[in-house]
Amino acid sequence: MIIDTNAYLGFFAFRQLRHNTAEGLLRLMDEKGIDRAMVSSASAITYRDAQAGNEEVAAAVDSHRDRLIPFAVINPAYAGWKDDLKICHEQFGMKGLRLYPKWHNYALSDRPCLDLIHEATGRGMVVSVPIRVEDYRQRSWLVDVPDVPLDEIVALVRACPKARFILLNGIGYTRTLLGQKNGGLPANYWIEISRLTALLANEVGELVSRLGADRVVFGSGMPFKYPDPSLLKLEVLDAPPEVKQKIRSANAARLLQPQR
Amino acid sequence: MDTTGFVTRRSFLGTSAAVGLALAGRRYVSSSAGRLEAAEAEAAADSSGAGGKAGPVIDCHAHLTHHSRKDYQERDRKLIEAADKLGIDQLCCSILTPRRPATADGFRQCNLWVAEAMKRFKGRVLGYCYVNPGYTREALEEIRRCVEERGFIGIKLYNEYRCTEPVVFPVVELAIELRVPILHHAGHGHYPFPNQPRISDGGDLAELGRRYPEARLICAHIGGGGDWEWTIKALRHGDNVFLDTSGSVVDEGMIELAARVLGVDRLVFGCDMSMTAGVGKIRGARLTPEAKQKILGGNMRRLLEMRG
Repeated sequence: MIIDTNAYLGFFAFRQLRHNTAEGLLRLMDEKGIDRAMVSSASAITYRDAQAGNEEVAAAVDSHRDRLIPFAVINPAYAGWKDDLKICHEQFGMKGLRLYPKWHNYALSDRPCLDLIHEATGRGMVVSVPIRVEDYRQRSWLVDVPDVPLDEIVALVRACPKARFILLNGIGYTRTLLGQKNGGLPANYWIEISRLTALLANEVGELVSRLGADRVVFGSGMPFKYPDPSLLKLEVLDAPPEVKQKIRSANAARLLQPQR
Repeated sequence: MDTTGFVTRRSFLGTSAAVGLALAGRRYVSSSAGRLEAAEAEAAADSSGAGGKAGPVIDCHAHLTHHSRKDYQERDRKLIEAADKLGIDQLCCSILTPRRPATADGFRQCNLWVAEAMKRFKGRVLGYCYVNPGYTREALEEIRRCVEERGFIGIKLYNEYRCTEPVVFPVVELAIELRVPILHHAGHGHYPFPNQPRISDGGDLAELGRRYPEARLICAHIGGGGDWEWTIKALRHGDNVFLDTSGSVVDEGMIELAARVLGVDRLVFGCDMSMTAGVGKIRGARLTPEAKQKILGGNMRRLLEMRG
């Protein structure tokens, strides 16, 4: 069993994506042996009204809910986010959030953002934060969106100790408090592997060693990225089978379990 | 230790006669249901010229560690171990000076260390001679020494000069004389690359290739040089410019686009130290096993055989 915590449906404004329909993504997952995936709208990254992307995802996954787990893109700086959150959770059955503070032009420390996280946490939803969407060196001439600095994530996990965060598309955690064994942070965040190394510097292995195998989760970034590099990391990672099983699916499955 | 997850050189990428099946992940191609993917695989196969003869997997873009780092031996050993795990037979390596532009003493020292590593990891490490073309006499002497006396396989140029600047031309002319390829650092972004005012891009390399049609140039790291779609399109008509697939960026469709626009005969596999990214993107690309074999080693082998 493999659960991908980092997958998408829809369009991205600056590059053509393939395998970006529910059926296409499922075919890709079948080929790669990926059983389930947490999916959100790629289109919502640049839609002004992100809820339109959530509606598209909800419709797309409707007959594939056993495999595609919908996450909502909510912009707390936009009108009506509380209504959108309620609809995404109660009507669309979305299990978590994806936040894009740099793309949607708000700070993770802004009051509305903290309120959003608080409300989502109260609903038992997981909050994922993509550190970046694509490599900054290839960004369009139209937009210059920076990565989310990891020190802003440090402040976020401190500010919201009851929330559960999945950090996507990041790297360099071991150089911050997020990757320290005794960093003084609440154990309320999980780190996804799509940009981490499993050989040479081996940040995956380092994080397993420092934070524990319970805190690292599989993710690929498909269909933005080939899923194969992340799958390959699981293959070459020098770790016991039980550790790989936690990364592969057990940790993500636990995150998806209903919260009291 | 999870021995089931430990992939051995021969079993993972494969270097045997079964290379096309194991290394390219035939199931990815044959199980593909989409018409687009089938067409891509066919197109890639059509563009191939030399057939799918099995051969070594060659990483065209790797770096050994500068000896100013105390742990250089350990780091170099880990690189070889990573290559072992991933089924990479040979690594084409250079050492760059930590501070650039490199001085003549600086690049000579780097190349001496590469020569030592070629002995230490005999048959696994192949050497690129790194020079700063601004030191014309020293650079040309060093290239000749490294290729003719030390058995280096090519030249590595970085960003000291844009490759279309005349100061680079003597190096290219010597590469032609010695029949060795030049791996050239490259990137194209829509914002300036900080600290790299003279970085070359795919368009520059295509222009250099037109000026010197006998040269064999390798445009470095499509997955680490900014807008890769731009680079691929810029290289379309640069027939003697190869494209190195290395870099940490693993955007889906990158390798297929390169194969479609340039043809698989112009793609050479590399990691540039992003090991699972380098291998994974080839593994994931929807190309025929024969096409993947060319990318993984066949094309680089042809470049290495130029010298005879």
